[in-house]
Amino acid sequence: MFDFDPSTFGLAHTYQKEDKDEINTLKMPSAPQVIYRTLNGPTQTNGGNKLNNFKHGTTTLGFVFKEGILLAVDSRASMGSFLSSEQVRKVIEINEYLLGTMAGGAADCQYWLAYLANHCRTYELKNGSKLSVAAASKFLQGILIGYKNSGLSMGCMIAGSDLSGQHLYYIDNDGMRLKGDIFSVGSGSTYAYGVLDNHYRYEMSLNEAVELGIRAIYHATHRDTASGGVVRVYHIHQNGWTKVHDGIDVVDLHYQFAQQKGLVGDGDEAKQRLF
Amino acid sequence: MSGIFEYNGGSIVGMKGKNCIAMACDRRFGQQMSTITTNYQKVFKIQDNILLALSGLNTDIHTFYALMEKEINLYNLKENRKMKPTTFANLVASALYERRFGPFFVTPIVAGLENGKPILATYDSIGCKSDLDDFQVGGTGGNYIYGACEAFFKPDMSPEELEEVIGQSLVSGCDRDALSGWGGVVYVLTEQKLTVKILKTKQT
Repeated sequence: MFDFDPSTFGLAHTYQKEDKDEINTLKMPSAPQVIYRTLNGPTQTNGGNKLNNFKHGTTTLGFVFKEGILLAVDSRASMGSFLSSEQVRKVIEINEYLLGTMAGGAADCQYWLAYLANHCRTYELKNGSKLSVAAASKFLQGILIGYKNSGLSMGCMIAGSDLSGQHLYYIDNDGMRLKGDIFSVGSGSTYAYGVLDNHYRYEMSLNEAVELGIRAIYHATHRDTASGGVVRVYHIHQNGWTKVHDGIDVVDLHYQFAQQKGLVGDGDEAKQRLF
Repeated sequence: MSGIFEYNGGSIVGMKGKNCIAMACDRRFGQQMSTITTNYQKVFKIQDNILLALSGLNTDIHTFYALMEKEINLYNLKENRKMKPTTFANLVASALYERRFGPFFVTPIVAGLENGKPILATYDSIGCKSDLDDFQVGGTGGNYIYGACEAFFKPDMSPEELEEVIGQSLVSGCDRDALSGWGGVVYVLTEQKLTVKILKTKQT
């Protein structure tokens, strides 16, 4: 009659080693086990030069302000210099009150954020209340520390709303977990930080915050070759999250901002053409 | 993203039409993943009836262009006549081979009109000339532009058609290459005139 064993609800099981059996009965593939540890140190990627590491080819940003949290991401996926897609969804909807952003390995981010979603739901059912953002991000950190040095590539932000307000955490594959007010992750993050740090104020209105997020992502997509496509914007507030923009083309944004800046020529005004 | 040819990025394409030729290039000047400017010139007018497009390492693009400019100026002065496009095509090959063991990291395309007949030649970086095709590509986005060219190209197009086709091929190709784009320029050369058109493309 039941396709799970009711005795798993008993106290004995909650104190045992992690939920591999429960997860299998909920028909979710169990987490991959690393069979051996490398004895020679961390797996080298691209000789350690982070800026050329295309696995982090993206721009994602998030910041906390008066009205909650704003997340803005680009949508480009590149394999080396080949653009494999311009329409990737880099904000992962974990549940109605938690969002995760994707940077680094897409498979890693998608899998582990879905695993986190499963864990949050299980917690909710067992305990009758939602998992806090702090706990959810710490759970993910714990997993990533377990896989440290095995080659996972993730630089994600966990943002959500719980009883104590809206919170933003940065989690990466090295096991780092940071709570903060402004984060930008990915190869285009340096460009986004320039714009973000210049105009950020806690007391911004929602419209100003959305405008800032869009502008920061646009500037990163213009300068960084690994970022582009469309801008997607999400807002997290006390009632969960809302998708503010599903995809604004950065090409349109370029010509719009160029107009505002007065750059309406063909780019050759300041220089002498060679013929 | 290793490789000296991928350091700056960029794409070029050349096509033959009916008594006309067209060249197109992107406008990006970048250093690996970072874009520095969006108005870098990669197609040069060597003579009224010869265009030279260069892709590869930007410093060598500029140096090789300057070298060719010098050669043609000296030729004009010494021989008191204009250089024929087929002669210039040969000159490019020799100039590249002169540096056989320390080459210019460029892949040039030469296009010209000789007595109304279109000439198009492309080379590898050490001077192997290939002038048998009706369109040629170069640069990091070259392979993607090939696809679009094969689809849109037909022989003996008019200058207006050629401009449209080469523009579309360049833009579609550059859209799949992270290191090319940020604008495009199309040059169409006929017996009467050279038209230069700047394309509005993705700036990302």
